[in-house]
Amino acid sequence: MQARRQWITPHEWMIKPTQQTEWIEGQGILIWMAEVFSALGMGLYLVSIYLDNWWGALAAWFIIIFLKLPFHFFYLGRPWRFWRAIPPFTDAWKTSWIARGMFFTTVFAGLAMIQLITTYMLNHNMVSEAMIGPVTVLDYTMRLLAGLFALLTGIYCGFVMSYCKAVPFWNTGLLPIVFVVMGIADGLALILAVGLITGGVDFHAIEYASQWALILNVILIGTYLINASYTSATAEYSVMQLIRGKVARAFWIGVILLGILVPLVVSLLSIFVLPFMPLLLIFAVIAHTIGAFALKYCVLKVGIYRPIISRVPVH
Amino acid sequence: MKWGMVIDIKKCMRCHGCVAACRVEHFLPLHITWVKLIAYETEDGGVLDVTTYPVRCNQCKEAPCVDVCPTGASYQRADGIVTIEANKCIGCRYCVIACPYQNRTFLRKSSDPGYFPGYPQTGYEIKGKKLYPHQRGTTTKCNFCAEKIDYGLENGLKPGIDRDATPACVNTCQARALTFGDLNDPNSNVSRLIIQRHGKQLQAGLGTDPSVYYVDGKHGGNDNKAPEHAMTGSHIQHLSSVEDRAKELFPWLKRDNE
Ligand code: SF4
Ligand code: SF4
Ligand code: SF4
Repeated sequence: MQARRQWITPHEWMIKPTQQTEWIEGQGILIWMAEVFSALGMGLYLVSIYLDNWWGALAAWFIIIFLKLPFHFFYLGRPWRFWRAIPPFTDAWKTSWIARGMFFTTVFAGLAMIQLITTYMLNHNMVSEAMIGPVTVLDYTMRLLAGLFALLTGIYCGFVMSYCKAVPFWNTGLLPIVFVVMGIADGLALILAVGLITGGVDFHAIEYASQWALILNVILIGTYLINASYTSATAEYSVMQLIRGKVARAFWIGVILLGILVPLVVSLLSIFVLPFMPLLLIFAVIAHTIGAFALKYCVLKVGIYRPIISRVPVH
Repeated sequence: MKWGMVIDIKKCMRCHGCVAACRVEHFLPLHITWVKLIAYETEDGGVLDVTTYPVRCNQCKEAPCVDVCPTGASYQRADGIVTIEANKCIGCRYCVIACPYQNRTFLRKSSDPGYFPGYPQTGYEIKGKKLYPHQRGTTTKCNFCAEKIDYGLENGLKPGIDRDATPACVNTCQARALTFGDLNDPNSNVSRLIIQRHGKQLQAGLGTDPSVYYVDGKHGGNDNKAPEHAMTGSHIQHLSSVEDRAKELFPWLKRDNE
C-alpha cells in the first residue's frame, strides 16, 4: 500500500525561500507597470530638459500623470483614500518611502506643468519684452526644480524596495542607482522616438550618449548580481533564479538582449557604420522599452524572502 | 507595560487549536488566519521528527511594517502592540512586503467568500461582521487580542493570568505551549521563562526585536506539561513523529521509503 503521508508541512513558504507575490502577481502587475512608467517618465524628462526638447518633456509629464499615477491608484485596495499617503495629510514621510514618493511625484507634477507652460510661452514669443527676463528666470528655476523632483520620483521606487530587509536581493543601496541609470538610458531611447515624430533631435549625439549609458548599465547590473551572490544565501538564490531559474528567459532575452545588446549594437552601427535609418532606430527604441519592462519584472519577480526558521537550510 | 508571548515548541503538538480560537475570536474571513503553524521534518540517524513553530505577528519593538506604512495606519501602541487602523489603510501592501515574518495578509475579495461559499451568510457570520468588521482592501494581522487586554485592564484583570484579559490562542492551547505577560516586569511569567529557558526571537539578526520568544524545552525543566487527559488525537499524532510510537499507534502508517 502506498504510504499515507501524515507529516504535512502546512506553511512551507516560511521555511523555504519564498517569492513575494503582492507586487508582481495578479493585481500586482499594476505595480510593475507603475514602476516601469516611473523610470521611463523620469528618464525622458531629464533628457528632455537637458536637450531643451519641449515635446519630450510633455511626453514625460504625461507618462507620470496619466500612466504611473493611475497604475498606482488602481492597485490600491482602497484607492479613494490615496490622499492619506500624501504629505501633509500624513507625517509618515519621516520613515516611509511610499509617502516620500507620493510627495515627490505630486511636486514634480506641479513644477513640470509650470515649466512646460513657461517654456511654451518663451518658444512661441507669447511673453512681452518686459516680462522675458522674469519668465526666463522662472523657466530655468522650474527646469532645475522639476528635474530634481523627476530624479527623486524615479529614484524613490528603488528605495521603496531596497528598504526591505526581508528581501535580501533588494536590500542594497545599488538598486536605486541601477533604476536611475536604466531610466536615463530609457529616456535617451524615448527621445529618439520623440525626435522621429517631431524632429529637432540630434540623433548622432543621442546615440553616442546612449551607448555610454548602456555600457554603464551592463557594469552596474553585473556588479549588482555579483554583490548579491555574496551577501546572503537567499540573495544568491534570487540571482540563480534570475540567471538560471524561472525568470532566466525574461532576464536574458528581455533585459540583456533586447534592453541592452540590441540598442547598443544599433548605436554602434549608427555611429560608425550605417547612415541614418529610421526603421532601425524604431526597432532599437522598441527593443529598449521591452528591456525596461523586463528589468522591473525580473527584479520584482526574484524578490525572495529570507526563510523564517533559519535552522533549516535555505535550499 | 510591554506585552509579549513565549512559545514552547517542545510542547506544541500542532493541533491547530490556536488557529481556530483566533478565527472564532475575530470572526476571521474564510481564507485568513492570523496565527499559522510552520512544521518541518528533520531526520536524525533514520529517526524522523517534526518540529512545529506556531507563528503570529511578533509585535516587533522595531517594526518595519510601521516604518513603511505611508498613512500611519500601522502604528505601535504604548504597550508595544502593533496594530492597524483599518479606516486609514489604503491597501498599498508595503507592510505585507516589508514584514520579514510574512505575518500580514491583504484582505482581498477572494479571501472572504463567506464561511459557506455559494450559500447565504449564517447568523453567526452576519453578527460577526458587525462585531468585528474586516475591511476588504486593507491589511490584517494578529493584534495580540488587544481588545481583550484593554477590556481586562479596564476591569482590573491581569493579562496572561485572567482568561478574560488573555489572548484567545493562549487560553485555548491545551498543551500550555503559549504563555503571555508583561516583558517589562522582570517577575512576570514571560520574563522568567525567557531568562530561565533562553528564549529566542525569530530572525533576531534583522533588528526587529520581536515580542514573541521561543523556548525549545532543551534548556531547564519541563514543569508545564500538558495533562495526560488533555491529550487528543492530534497530540498523539504529533508524538507519533517519534517513529516507533507512530508505528505502534498507527500501524497502517508507513514511511515513504519502506
Ligand atoms: S511580525 Fe511583521 S507585522 Fe508583526 S510587527 Fe513584526 S514586522 Fe510588523
Ligand atoms: S497596506 Fe495599509 S497598513 Fe499596510 S502599509 Fe499600506 S496603508 Fe499601511
Ligand atoms: S494573540 Fe489573539 S489575535 Fe493574535 S493569534 Fe492569538 S488569538 Fe489571534
